[in-house]
Amino acid sequence: MKKTLAWVAIAGTLAFFARRSLTLEDDPIRSLVHPDPAAAALFDRYQDKSPFRGKIFVEMGDLAPAERERLDEALRQGGYREEPLFTSPSPEQILALAPLLPADELRRLLGDEALTARASQAREVAGLPGGDGYLQALEADPAGLGPALLSRFAGGSAPGGDGVAPHVYRSPSPLDYGKVEGVHRALLALRPKVHFIGGDFFAYENYRAIQSDILLCSALTLVLNLAVFFLFTGRWALLGLLFLGTVISNAAGLFAIRAFYPQVFAVVVAYASTFVGFNNESLVHLAGIPEDHRRQSLTGIWSAIGTTIIGFFVLLVSRSVLIRQMALASLGGVLSFLFFLYPYRKALGGVRFRRFDCPKITVPPVAVAALCGACAVGIALVGVPRIGTRIAEFSFRSPALAAEVAHFSRRLDAISLEHVVAVRVEGTPEAVLADLDARGITVASHHPLARWRPLAEQEESLRVVRQAYPQAVARVRDLLARSGIRLAPATELPASVAPLGAWEYLDRLREIGPVRWADIVQGQRYLFVGLRPGADVGGIELMPMTPQHHFDLLLTALSRELGWLFLAGFVAMAVYLTFLQRSAARVLYVFAPLFPSALVLAVLLRASGGTLTIIHFVGFSLIIAVAVDYTAVAVSTDHGHPEMTKILLTGLSTLATFGVLVLARHPVMRDLGLTTVIGCVISLLFVLFVKLPRSEEGK
Amino acid sequence: MTMLTLLLSATLAASPAPLTPELLRERYAGLRSLEADVLQVKAGRFWALPFQSRIRFRYTSGRVVWETLAPVHSVAIIQGDQLTVTGADGKAREMGGLSADPRMTALLRFLRTLMAVDLIGLERYFVLAYGPREVVARPRPTSDLKLFEAIRLHFDDDAELTGLDLETATERTRLTFEHTVRDPPPPAPRR
Repeated sequence: MKKTLAWVAIAGTLAFFARRSLTLEDDPIRSLVHPDPAAAALFDRYQDKSPFRGKIFVEMGDLAPAERERLDEALRQGGYREEPLFTSPSPEQILALAPLLPADELRRLLGDEALTARASQAREVAGLPGGDGYLQALEADPAGLGPALLSRFAGGSAPGGDGVAPHVYRSPSPLDYGKVEGVHRALLALRPKVHFIGGDFFAYENYRAIQSDILLCSALTLVLNLAVFFLFTGRWALLGLLFLGTVISNAAGLFAIRAFYPQVFAVVVAYASTFVGFNNESLVHLAGIPEDHRRQSLTGIWSAIGTTIIGFFVLLVSRSVLIRQMALASLGGVLSFLFFLYPYRKALGGVRFRRFDCPKITVPPVAVAALCGACAVGIALVGVPRIGTRIAEFSFRSPALAAEVAHFSRRLDAISLEHVVAVRVEGTPEAVLADLDARGITVASHHPLARWRPLAEQEESLRVVRQAYPQAVARVRDLLARSGIRLAPATELPASVAPLGAWEYLDRLREIGPVRWADIVQGQRYLFVGLRPGADVGGIELMPMTPQHHFDLLLTALSRELGWLFLAGFVAMAVYLTFLQRSAARVLYVFAPLFPSALVLAVLLRASGGTLTIIHFVGFSLIIAVAVDYTAVAVSTDHGHPEMTKILLTGLSTLATFGVLVLARHPVMRDLGLTTVIGCVISLLFVLFVKLPRSEEGK
Repeated sequence: MTMLTLLLSATLAASPAPLTPELLRERYAGLRSLEADVLQVKAGRFWALPFQSRIRFRYTSGRVVWETLAPVHSVAIIQGDQLTVTGADGKAREMGGLSADPRMTALLRFLRTLMAVDLIGLERYFVLAYGPREVVARPRPTSDLKLFEAIRLHFDDDAELTGLDLETATERTRLTFEHTVRDPPPPAPRR
């Protein structure tokens, strides 16, 4: 009783501190970093200048005034501040870019007719309350070169594309999901008149999905496990141990992550709700070990626990922070639960289980090998599903948000911004752009370089500016002075104004525009271009910069990596089991359920047109961690009592734990649940109804 | 006693009761239109001399017409988030990127709110302080309208808008309202 009270105190303290020290990261995508430092740096720098980072975009159609008022109020309450898509260039930036305006346009802008009209407009707007803001802008740019430059550069590049300019709002920081919810609801209520997009909505929807998954899955898992557990043992004390130990293992798992990472992914916390599944296996198998075949039972138990730990250790090598966090949480959870059980070893020894028997088919090892071989052939016939993970499968998005993504993808596609890639440039950017255009990879006319002008043409523009600008400024100043408006603009053109090379032009454009078009990383110059839809890019080294494509690439690479890790773990487990079981037939029996599981998954994926994702690999690691335990224990103990009862109990408990994940909203949890349930069901059926001859099993 | 009553009356007349949000909301709620002659005087860094102009102002739901009668005729119309300006020559001015600038949009939205004496709308951008015959509005820290440092709305004893003072870092604008006609008409005087 004393030690239980001590554990209750420890559990409470751990849970309290885990809760207090936990900083959740809601978007699992943020865990992904490109392994190539240059590509990672390019992507990060591109995203720093990304028009989408820290902002939301709202396209407003024909809203009634009351609707607009409601939306404005929701945005204001949410802490969103509207800002221009393009930063107004400073006077120095305007003059530096002036040579990019054609000479004829400059002559028009600096001509008397335009200047007189500009002065008239200034008088009329200055007469409005707050009109001095306009006069300040006029003083900075008396000839109106800034609007002309913005019009030239923004033409065709604004995300509206077809003339529907989106409103840009700066997100509040830090993000308050309660406030984002208000904005999200207001925007949803106005669809389809408004369209909206922004990282905040993805983060919010993932947060909501994860929160509800954590709640639903934890509650259902707990209730179902308690029911299954009580049905088989009739001992409330064991249920208490399972519950208390699970609290400790959850907290220990989170502390294990916190020891290495300042933030914990919310999806990992949701995943931690499955620990009761691992724990019940340890608890059940360590309970009521019969003295007459203690050695065989322990061989089975350490086969099960050992493979589980090996599986998670292998995942620690993954490049994905998310996967490493899952592995750390699992290892912390499993080991702390074993530590927790140690003081109760005597009490566990006295537990008895109801007997469970069912008819079994005894098959020779060669039949098991034939089954595995047939499954392998079946997979080959069906075809190994393509490995690939898309970001859409990795994070939750509601149908409404998915429709908004599709809407803005079409918009961006129309202006070649949907799929931007970085291209290494050895020569001039204009030559590379022309080459990519000729190959049908990009549309050069959509690229801002199309608005760059050769140096000779810029020289001509510069001559016009040098000649006419001082007089134009003086003319505007004098016209306004006649109306009593006193401006003091700089009349002289800085000596530094000169024609801009293509790189310099792209760099300057970055200062005022929402998109980065060029960069230098590790001394290498890169040009960013938008891919033409369906372009064949074979043989060209391109680095995706648009988040969706960038992360699709990373996730697919990670899927492959996990595939290899899974195979490495498989080999390590086989070596471990061979050492422990000292029988190739028994090792084959332990792994046999994996083969039909893989075949069923392959058939399902081929039939649905799906790909083998990172989640399926994690799912298979979990199958090894939990479902292979059944075969390991059964084959070690000749399918005897009480092990078969324990296997059925833990099997049902595992199904209750991972089965509820199928109800999750978050696709990561749902796919994980589905994959694991397939493996667990097959493994459970296999172990219940198929056994090796007595001479081959461990009794 | 008579002397005391007279003194008390004089004191009360000299210091009118502060305006209250309830009173102003009641008075300006449901305002469909408001027309007035406005005398505008601007002074500040950009003005060589105080600039005086005569304006015919018309507000109807969601639309403000700011017609400058003198010294030079022009018409500025604020409708929704759009500003159109027509010069003395009758030609509409090309506003270019100005109307797409969110700062301009915020200003126009604010002006519509201000001219409708929409206190709830004003409170979105400003903290309002109610005093005798005036309401002083100062921008909230999160306001899009930090251009304005302070706005004073002047009212007469019947809580009727008589003028506005708008202060920015570089300009002070005084608007004096005359011949105000509103629909629905104002409630009966409170005295």
